[in-house]
Amino acid sequence: MNLIVFWFFGAVAVVSAIIVVTHRNPMHSVLYLSFSVLAVSGVFFSLQADFLGAIQIIVYAGGIVVLYTFVIIIINLNELQREKRRFVPRLFLVLIPVVLMAEVAYALYRNTASVAGGAEEGITMEELAHRLMSSYVVPFEIASVLLLAVLVGSIIIARKRVIDDSN
Amino acid sequence: MIPISHILALGLTLFGIGLVGVLSRKNLVVILMSTELMLNGVNVILAGYGHHMKSPNGAIFALFIIMVAVSEAAVGFALMLSYFRQKATYNLDEINDLKG
Repeated sequence: MNLIVFWFFGAVAVVSAIIVVTHRNPMHSVLYLSFSVLAVSGVFFSLQADFLGAIQIIVYAGGIVVLYTFVIIIINLNELQREKRRFVPRLFLVLIPVVLMAEVAYALYRNTASVAGGAEEGITMEELAHRLMSSYVVPFEIASVLLLAVLVGSIIIARKRVIDDSN
Repeated sequence: MIPISHILALGLTLFGIGLVGVLSRKNLVVILMSTELMLNGVNVILAGYGHHMKSPNGAIFALFIIMVAVSEAAVGFALMLSYFRQKATYNLDEINDLKG
């Protein structure tokens, strides 16, 4: 049952990811990206990483996708251009998916890890919070400093240099 | 219990699709979106390993990766907007200011 849920969301994520990469209109790509992100959060739920799935929905679907949408509106990506390329980049386009899919097929074929099925419930959020606040407290604080730096830095980079003061 | 090979297969597939997007597209916005897809694939693998090892470390690492992904998206878009104000292009073939 869990496997069915996992592969249902996984298939949705993979198909919409393919559409993200191949679609020519960037706005449609953003919408399919939100679809893919929500499907990945479904995969997290099927892996019993509840907190991670919730964070994925809040941060990705609520934050990053909206940011992408606004940027596309601001820079007005409306004219669609043909993407032509020479032979060697086109060779890469064929080669990289083939090699990666061969790797995936090999991983599926060597289905060795039959882990002894323990308790079906995953990690509790309480345990995760304790670990986050004890062992990983330094990276946690550094991440908060990083987010503050990103906030200040992106405002400074993206602002206009000239402020036209009407007064 | 989901076998680890299936989780690896899904994560690698998502990562591969994102990698193809980064390497093949020429639109800057779509390239940034493809990096998000790659990070999603890595997060799936980390969460899967954490689930298998019954340890919260996988989820914690994936959490930090999400934080870094948000930072990267914000700064990347700020840089892109700042560049777009000056040059009005988002095509990677035309962005060659540092070419020697």
